[in-house]
Amino acid sequence: MSIVLSVKDLDVVSGGRLVVRGANLDVYENDIVFLLGPNGAGKTTFLRAVVGYPGYNISSGKIIFESEDLTDKPIEYRVAKGIAIGHQIPPKLLGIKVFDMLSMLCKKNKCDVYEIAREMSIEHLLHREFGKGFSGGELKRVEIATLLAQKPKIALVDEPDTGVDVDSIEIIAKGLKKLVEESPFRSIIIVTHSAFITRFIEPSRVCIMINGTISTCGDENLLYKVMKYGFKGLA
Amino acid sequence: MGLKDWHSELREKAVKALDKPSPYGLDIDISQYLEAEEVGNRSKGLLDVSKAEEVGVNLNANALYIQVDQSYFKYLSRIPGVEVYRIEDFIEQKPDEAMEFAWRLIDPSTDKFTALAYLRGRGGYFIRVKKGSKVDEPIMACLYMSYKGLQAPHNIVVVEDGAEATVYTGCTIAPEVLGLHVGISEFFVGRKAKLRFVMVHSWNKVAHVRPRTVVSVDEEGEYVSYYVNISKVKTLQTYPKVYLSSNSRAFLASIILGLEDSDIDVGSAAYIEGDGASAELVSRAIARDESKIVMRAQITGGRMGKGHIDCRGLMMSNNSLIQTVPELIAKHPDVILTHEASIGRLAEDEINYLISKGFSRDEAISALVRGFATIDISGLPEKVRNYIETIEKIVSEKAL
Repeated sequence: MSIVLSVKDLDVVSGGRLVVRGANLDVYENDIVFLLGPNGAGKTTFLRAVVGYPGYNISSGKIIFESEDLTDKPIEYRVAKGIAIGHQIPPKLLGIKVFDMLSMLCKKNKCDVYEIAREMSIEHLLHREFGKGFSGGELKRVEIATLLAQKPKIALVDEPDTGVDVDSIEIIAKGLKKLVEESPFRSIIIVTHSAFITRFIEPSRVCIMINGTISTCGDENLLYKVMKYGFKGLA
Repeated sequence: MGLKDWHSELREKAVKALDKPSPYGLDIDISQYLEAEEVGNRSKGLLDVSKAEEVGVNLNANALYIQVDQSYFKYLSRIPGVEVYRIEDFIEQKPDEAMEFAWRLIDPSTDKFTALAYLRGRGGYFIRVKKGSKVDEPIMACLYMSYKGLQAPHNIVVVEDGAEATVYTGCTIAPEVLGLHVGISEFFVGRKAKLRFVMVHSWNKVAHVRPRTVVSVDEEGEYVSYYVNISKVKTLQTYPKVYLSSNSRAFLASIILGLEDSDIDVGSAAYIEGDGASAELVSRAIARDESKIVMRAQITGGRMGKGHIDCRGLMMSNNSLIQTVPELIAKHPDVILTHEASIGRLAEDEINYLISKGFSRDEAISALVRGFATIDISGLPEKVRNYIETIEKIVSEKAL
């Protein structure tokens, strides 16, 4: 199996603090990676550093995507290359309707706003201001819709199942599966706290991040160990 | 009281107020506008069609009022149930009715500008939408200044019980013309009637603008206003007031763009005077260059009802200034009044979010500014809505 995305010995400084320390992760073709870890482990920082988010500074290490070193490339370049991030809490965008947002993305990436809206059950939100007054589930469904409209080669999705009701999780999982189907590599990274999403998507690998380091990776059984013993027990 | 006595009483009030400054905005010297030469200024009364179109006025509308300076007037209505007159013609033809409406909501002695408008103003429209008439097509008005001096039209809109209409007014000026515009507007919204009023201002860097507007909304009536300033102006001060009877509703939206050294003081006030009335005052200020914008909003709850103020300012320059002054005054225990206000630059978090979605930085900023300048207003006719979208685009482009 060939490696699609390779993160090597990554150190990331955010807010003047070293948050990610020597993290390593390879994502292969046909790889559905679940990244788990306790609060403050550095999962969000790790995803944001991979996509090149401003304020997340790589002090050492490398990020290789499709054999190209992206470590020093800006976020615009990495996104244009096909890496996308699904945010845990997207911001409210004053005066921008969900429809406007998806239309702008679909214009760039040639997709159908209504088809995406139907798939994510957000038709009723299309003409509302982006993020304003949305429930947790609605917010996540809209965020996954933006990812679908981006048509990324690989999506890095931050906690899609946190603060979401059961019905929404099923829809979100459907969206995540579609992101995998549409990825030329059929790969994705999903950060999850609770692993509720596993009821609907099976990971090919499960990795654990503790104190800024990806301490271990394994198969689905690792997930059950985490559920049984917790992160501390696993450590 | 006869027309003559009525006029002399108003005139007396106005004369006494000629040195009474407005409580808000920069004070300016109006003495030059009182001079006789200014009254019948040497304007040729030529309308610049492109300027009228720039502020969205459809000159082929079926109900239309056009005024150039204080010397050229054209009006017509081919819409059943809609009357359009020049104000002097209305007063002359229907004096008893005129006295029911003219200067009823605005006292000529309010300040020096209302006084000046009474004494030296010419023209303005009288628009009446007859009882039960529901008019889809916007009634258009264009007030254009082609020549230096004063333009002080007196506008009256009467939407009778159960009637509905949209009045669209574009006010603009030729480049470099030094002038003072004082529009006096008195609107009467009848029982279960709806008035949607759109006003687009596009002035120049030497123009002074002092509109004075008061609206009365009868039981279960609705008044929706959309005001936008899209261009440079030397000074602009306005503070429309809306009086609400039982179960009536007002929604006032203002989008203010400050460019260069514009000094702008814009506000709106609503008075809940009947049970179940509601008011929402929404304003967006975008300050660029060295502009100064004060946004005022006040809701007074005298009866059981609801009011909400939403003021936001966007700083696009290090040298501009925005001040918000939201005020809530409760005079009844069952009135619920709320406000939210914020001023700042565009949030980096929002810019980065859009960049992470594949936008360039410039595209992200442009989309956010456009969003900021967008206020959703329900019930506007499609044509007006389309034009407002164009206006919002113009505002966001000029803001960048």
